[in-house]
Amino acid sequence: MLRLLRAILGRSYPRIIGANRDKSWLFYDTVLPLLGTIAFVYVYKALGAPERFVGYVIMGGATVAFWMNVMWSMAAQFYWDKQGGNLELYMVVPCGIPAILLGMSFGGFVGTVIRAIAIVAIGSLLFDVHYTVSQWPVFLLVFGVAIVGLYGLGVTFASLFLLWGREAWHMANLFMEPVFFLSGFYFPVRALGFWAGMGASLIPLTLALDAMRQLLFPGTHPPFLPLGTELGILAALAISFIVLARFLLRKMEYLARREGRLSLRF
Amino acid sequence: MEAADRLRPESAFASWWRTVRVAYWLGWQVESNWTDPLLFFIYSIARPLGGALILVFMYFVVSRGGRGDMLGFFLVGSAFWPFVIAGMMGMAWGIISDREHWKTLKYVYTSPISYRAYLVGRSLAQATSATAATAITLLFGRWVLQIPLHLSSMDIPYALVAFALGITSIMALGFVVVSAAMSISGEAWRMPEGVGAALYLICGAIFPVTVLPAVLQDLAQAIPLTWWLEAMRRGLLGAGGLRSFPWSSDLQVLAIFAAVTAVWVAGGVLVFSYAEQRARALGILDRESGY
Repeated sequence: MLRLLRAILGRSYPRIIGANRDKSWLFYDTVLPLLGTIAFVYVYKALGAPERFVGYVIMGGATVAFWMNVMWSMAAQFYWDKQGGNLELYMVVPCGIPAILLGMSFGGFVGTVIRAIAIVAIGSLLFDVHYTVSQWPVFLLVFGVAIVGLYGLGVTFASLFLLWGREAWHMANLFMEPVFFLSGFYFPVRALGFWAGMGASLIPLTLALDAMRQLLFPGTHPPFLPLGTELGILAALAISFIVLARFLLRKMEYLARREGRLSLRF
Repeated sequence: MEAADRLRPESAFASWWRTVRVAYWLGWQVESNWTDPLLFFIYSIARPLGGALILVFMYFVVSRGGRGDMLGFFLVGSAFWPFVIAGMMGMAWGIISDREHWKTLKYVYTSPISYRAYLVGRSLAQATSATAATAITLLFGRWVLQIPLHLSSMDIPYALVAFALGITSIMALGFVVVSAAMSISGEAWRMPEGVGAALYLICGAIFPVTVLPAVLQDLAQAIPLTWWLEAMRRGLLGAGGLRSFPWSSDLQVLAIFAAVTAVWVAGGVLVFSYAEQRARALGILDRESGY
């Protein structure tokens, strides 16, 4: 257990401390989602939309930071590690891959939450957006459950990407705008219709964003599902992704070892 | 080819053109041969179409299903933006991946070819991959969203001239970004993305630049992409559409666009020459940045 904890902390260290040492990382991780967010804010301004839509976009911008972290620093991480020669080292250390992934998740979450707060704070100050959080404990619960589900999905993807070479980079790239669209990062997901929205709900951020918008803009946000239902589905997704990640990780690690892809760079 | 033919001196243009063609082929292979053609096609259209659909749904949520000029504005901007990402950012990523991922930069650079021609070829290959996304987005707009993209109302020669100038301006911007990528090592691979995001915000890609603060409006006018997208909208959507520069006529837009492009081409060549010389003098041309 102690070894596991040490491995988790050890792997999260470069993401919490190391990433903040390089100021360019901090700049790009905050400014890049913020630039896209501001562009979408101006779209709503050009359309003459009510203020809450600007709030939707700023929330979406913060969520982009989490999604990018999960796709590029969780799902595709083993691809980078192959390039850098770290993956073989992870395979031979006695803590096992799950501890490495947990450390990546924990470190990634802490690093990203700082950037997401910066995005919300700067965006809200720039455009004078106000939020009314009606139930803080429920808000934090939704956020927490969604994060568990999201990083569970990240570990699931990481195990799938373990087999890939160049495809990993392209697949992570593929899951950007289509996911921003399906999950309603910049508009209420209800606009997609019930069945499309339910399909998109496989991505934990879809229901998490809708639930948090219900709590941030009470009475004005058109809900996709009742808050309690969304929380229940999010919890079920979180558990499912953890179980699936565990299963897939074993399976894919075995396949990668058998097919000799662990050190295949290109 | 006979040995004597191979030894015969080649004209500068023939050599330049051959390099562009071979670099184009190489760029296309790097870009596309990681998967089968069908998946590559889906990959090529999914991101741009996803981006366009975000705007379309944002529009419908606010307008409650109504249609207007803004929808056409969104769609044409979204349709042509992939050329910027692929052509400009792709050129920069090409040099960074050659330097740090494939580690082939030193071999390409020292071969007896024009490195500028090589970069143009790589960039054109990237831009080609944007064609499918542009076509699908425009067709989606025409047939699904009923945007007035009718051949009868389009000014095709105007749009073609604007498109050719647009590709030229993208190359010029690409050379400037490549120059920056040559000069910095830490995090060079994220810099093109940052430039692309900033241009997306200020070039009127998805909203009229008239919405921006005055300072950014002035800045937008100095960037050729703003004029390019404006010209493409005027060429494809015909009269009566929403404008970023409502005060200017179609010909004025094209003339200013050509002038701004000429300035950027000259600037791009100068900046690239300086960055190239500097990188060679400092010995950083193939310096890795921990890609």
